[in-house]
Parts: sequence; structure tokens; C-alpha cells
Amino acid sequence: MGNMIEYVKMAFKNIMANKGRSFLTMLGIIIGISSVIMVMSVGDGTTNAMNSEVADLGTGQISVYCSEEAATEGEWITPEDLTAIGEQVKGVDGATPNDGSSGSTATEKGEFAVQLNGGTEDLQRAVNYNIKRGAYFTSVDVEEGNRVCVITSSDAKRLFGSDDVVGMDIEVTIGDITGSYRIVGVTQQKENGAFVSYTYEGAPVSLDVPYTSFESYGWESDSFYSATIFANDQVSGEKVAKEIVHLLESRHQCAGEEYFQIQSFQDMVQELNDILGIVTTFISCVAAISLIVGGIGVMNIMLVSVTERTREIGIRKSLGAKTSSILMQFLAEAAILTVVGGIIGILLGLLGSVGVCGLMSASMGSTIHPGVKASTILGATLFSCGIGVFFGIYPARKAAKLSPIEALRRN
Amino acid sequence: MGNLIKVQDMCKIYNPGENEVRALDHVSLEIDQGEFVAIIGHSGSGKSTLMNMLGCLDVPTSGSYYLNGKDVSSLKDNQLSEIRNQEIGFIFQGFNLIANLNAVENVELPLIYRGIGRSERNKMAKEALKKVGLEKRMHHKPSEMSGGQQQRVAIARAIAAEPPVILADEPTGNLDSASTQEIMDILKGLHRGGRSVILITHDSEIAEQAKRVVRILDGKIVEDYYNKEKRKEKAEETGYEK
Repeated sequence: MGNMIEYVKMAFKNIMANKGRSFLTMLGIIIGISSVIMVMSVGDGTTNAMNSEVADLGTGQISVYCSEEAATEGEWITPEDLTAIGEQVKGVDGATPNDGSSGSTATEKGEFAVQLNGGTEDLQRAVNYNIKRGAYFTSVDVEEGNRVCVITSSDAKRLFGSDDVVGMDIEVTIGDITGSYRIVGVTQQKENGAFVSYTYEGAPVSLDVPYTSFESYGWESDSFYSATIFANDQVSGEKVAKEIVHLLESRHQCAGEEYFQIQSFQDMVQELNDILGIVTTFISCVAAISLIVGGIGVMNIMLVSVTERTREIGIRKSLGAKTSSILMQFLAEAAILTVVGGIIGILLGLLGSVGVCGLMSASMGSTIHPGVKASTILGATLFSCGIGVFFGIYPARKAAKLSPIEALRRN
Repeated sequence: MGNLIKVQDMCKIYNPGENEVRALDHVSLEIDQGEFVAIIGHSGSGKSTLMNMLGCLDVPTSGSYYLNGKDVSSLKDNQLSEIRNQEIGFIFQGFNLIANLNAVENVELPLIYRGIGRSERNKMAKEALKKVGLEKRMHHKPSEMSGGQQQRVAIARAIAAEPPVILADEPTGNLDSASTQEIMDILKGLHRGGRSVILITHDSEIAEQAKRVVRILDGKIVEDYYNKEKRKEKAEETGYEK
């Protein structure tokens, strides 16, 4: 074994003597490794990009909703509950019920579907918009049930051709009741990534309104199926969520009934990440199959090489090569093929993932950096070495076990 | 000092059982240090089997074989490799050079397996090549050399590690008469230099050039004589007849 360097040199010489064949053998490994790295880097990059965009959007948001049992018992979330949460739970900046309705409106520009998002003034925390003109509706508007609304700049342009619309009214028809909402504020969408842009041609016009304004359409506004709580960064979302549930349960005297369910924004992001992770893993597995096929290719060539070089093996053995020397020589050959293939594969994979991320960034208008992890590269390298040794052992043993007389006799 | 090679009652049986072939049938043979022996026989006589045994390429079915004082008849594969590497220099009929290595690299092979360092190895290989008159062909590949030159490389490979026994299996079988004489001269030179040379051949003219001839037939040694005595006998016989 002390002669390892000699065996590696011999192996290298043989590989160089069959350049074309060696390259084709490596190709399987190259494709395998580079595709695994590419899939994993692009997958991780996409996840990262999505996470950072989503994080802008709403960390600290906690959704509270009623379970089916609560619904059958008639236990809903009330405005008083929300006030209590805001006052009693530490780290809560605001709370709004999730109320909503849809209707339609007609302007000079045509007919539009309208989505009314009812909530308290805290609703403005839910989305990452800046106020461009006017102001968001206030707690006074909520208390008095004023028919005021906040519209996005782009929707305003769709409805009126301009976003200088503060003070104008929008006639909204819900069912057969028509009421007019006065525009008090215009919001400008923040620079947003591809993953969280809502607006598209034909989407309903979205208006934020005080939930109490629905009373004028004849609806009760004192119980809700769900609400959104806004916690600040200083507290753990989990702790706040627990306290909220606890408070709600004590207010409704239903401790332990699991009437109120919590879903924090982090949970949703986590779920999304899990799904993406599964998809990435699955594609990686498919790519890994090509690695195994590549490994079998190496084994195949090594077997051919053993048959072809039977005489050489005989010569070497007659000159004093031990079984282990021949084994090491052939193993070194398989290992060099896979390791060199692996290195080329890693480089190509990295290049490829930069390329794919560039293309994706360009086409989606969002920046995705390939999420290259050291563990991925290390894993791929180890895997390719493993393949080289694993698939090299059989042909190498076959070569090493040949009897010198038999081997010399063959031509 | 004992014999260099001492074979006692050696048998080699292929396919034991019904169709058994007795390739070697109770062969006993002693060869001393510094001898030049030709083992002669027709194909199928068992001379190749004997050569495999002497060269430690195979182990006998029964009998003992002492090489340089060591019993090698029952050694394992790896130990046989070691013996081949240390004690025996092979010269084959088909040269058996490795095609993608040049002359020096081919000669270096047994030295690599002996674990000799790079520069030392290179020096020894070049020395050996000089001895066979190939100092101008050191970096030629086998395909760039004539048959005689290739065989000379093979001889250099056999002697580079200075093994006690040179075992040549039909070394001139693939060569024209000029090259044949060239190779025989080198072998004779090695013998004169004090090495033991065992030559396996079917050609009695070649065998004539050795000091001692062992004739093998059907796996048995049928004749074992020194050429000098034989010639004397012959001369006397013919003289007597005349």
C-alpha cells in the first residue's frame, strides 16, 4: 500500500492513454453531479428569495380563527376580544378582524369587480404599502362606521385614469344595495418581488374599508370567523400566539376546547418552505439517479478495461505485482475518473445554477441568488468518490484475482 | 551452500478425477547457482508447466520446491508474487511489454513492485538497458522497436532487479535468426557474468548453446546432460565408428 502514489500515477497514465473513452465515462458523472448541484442551488436560492420577500410582507402576523366546534357553539371572535388582546397581550401592536365582501362598481372606464377588505385601522399593517396621497382611515372612522376607503394607486388609475382621487366617491354595489365610499387615501405598492405581487389584469379592485361600514349594508359586524393580530419583533410569535389563545379561551370560557386556532405567518412560511424542500429533494433524487447511472457507466468501462488489459495484468503479476497492487491500480483509475468528473460536474453545476438563477431573475423580475451550500458540494463530492470506489471495486477485484498464467495466456 | 533450485518429486495434475492430465509426473531436478540450463521438450511435454512451477506462477499438486533455500511449493498468492519479484527475472516468448509504457518505464515495473524509490529505480533501469545495448532506445514505446529490441527490453526488465534466476520461456520463438543469435549472446553473457539462466525451448539448436540440457517428455525428465560431455561422447562415438 505504500506505493499508492505509484498506483495513482499508473492509473493516471492509463486514463490519459484513453482520453476519449475516459471523457465519455466521466460525462455520466459530470451530468449527474452538475444536475444535483444545479437543482439544489436553484431550489435553495428560490426558497431564500421567497423567504426574504415574504418576510418583508408580514412577519409578526398571527391569524386567529374559529374551529368548526366553535362555530357550531356560536362562539365567534368579537371586536371586544380584539380590543382585549390589544390591551392585555404584551407585544401586540394591533389587531383587526378579517371581514370582507365583494361587489362591483362602474365608472367611465367600465365595470369592475370590487373586493372590500373590512378591518380596523390596523389593517394597514397587513400589507406592505405606503400611503401616497391622503391618509389611511382612522379609529374614528371605524367607530362611526364611516363609508371611507383606501385604494391602491394602480387600482385608482384603472378606475379613474389617475391616482389623484382623494375625496372622490366610489359607488359600490353589493348584492342589490349600492352605497358610496369616499376615498380617503391612496397607497403605493412597495417595490415587490415576483412571488408576492397580487395585481394582474382583470383582478378585482381592492379597497380597504372600516369593517363597521358593512353595517350600512345591513350586516352585523360584531362577530368574526377570523382575525389578524400584529405582534412586534421583540416578542416570540409563539408566545404571543399562546397568550392570545389563552385570553380568548378565558373570555369565552372554553379552556381546553380548542375553539380558537392559531396560524402565525412563520408557520405559513414554514409550510411553504417544507413544500419547496420536498420538491427540491424529489428533483434531486431524480438527478441522483443519473449519478448512479453514471457510476454504472464507470463500472462498465472498468470491466471492459479489465478484459482488454488481462494480459497487462498477467505481466504485472508475473513481475511481482500483488493482488492488492492490481486492486489499488484499478480502483485508483475508477476513483480518478469519478473524482475528476465530480470536480468538473461541481464547476458546471455552479455555473449552471448561476445561469438558471440569472434567467429566472430576468424573467420574473425578482433577484434570485443561487443558494450554494458547502454541504451540497461536499455531499456531491463524497457521493462521487463513493460511486467511484463502489462501482470500481467489482472490476478491480476481478482484475486482481486473475491468475498470472491464465492472464498471460490470453491475448 | 545448497542448490539454487531443488525440485523433488513434483507432480502437477490438471482436472483431478476422471480426465486428469499429469502435466508433471514425479519430476526431480537440481540446478546450482550460476548454471545455464536449457529445458527442452515438444509442446505438450510439460515443459511450460515446469516453467510455471519454477517461475512460481503456479503451485504443484504435490512434491516440494526449494528456491534459494526457501520452500515455495505451498506459498499463498501474495507470497508467490513477492518471490517472483525478488528471485526471478522472466523473459517471455511474446516479450510481454506493456504497450503504453516506454522502455525505461517497462524496465522499472518490477522495481516499482519491489518498492524502490523513483530516482534509484530510474538509474537501475537505465543501467539494465545499457547492458543490453539499448541506451539509444530508452524512451521508445514497444511499438517503435523491432522484435529483437523488444526482447532486449524484456531482458533488461528481467535483470534490472538482479534476481538470482533468469527464467526465459522460448525467448527466441518470435525472432528471426539474427535477432535470435543476438538474444542468445546476451543470455550467454549473463551466464558468464555469474547469473543462473534457465532457458525453456523446443529447439535443440538453441538448447545446444546452453551448458546443460534437461529433456522432458510426457511430464517426466528423460535426459539430463552437459553439452560438453555430450559433445565429447559424440566425438568419441563418431571417432570410434570411423
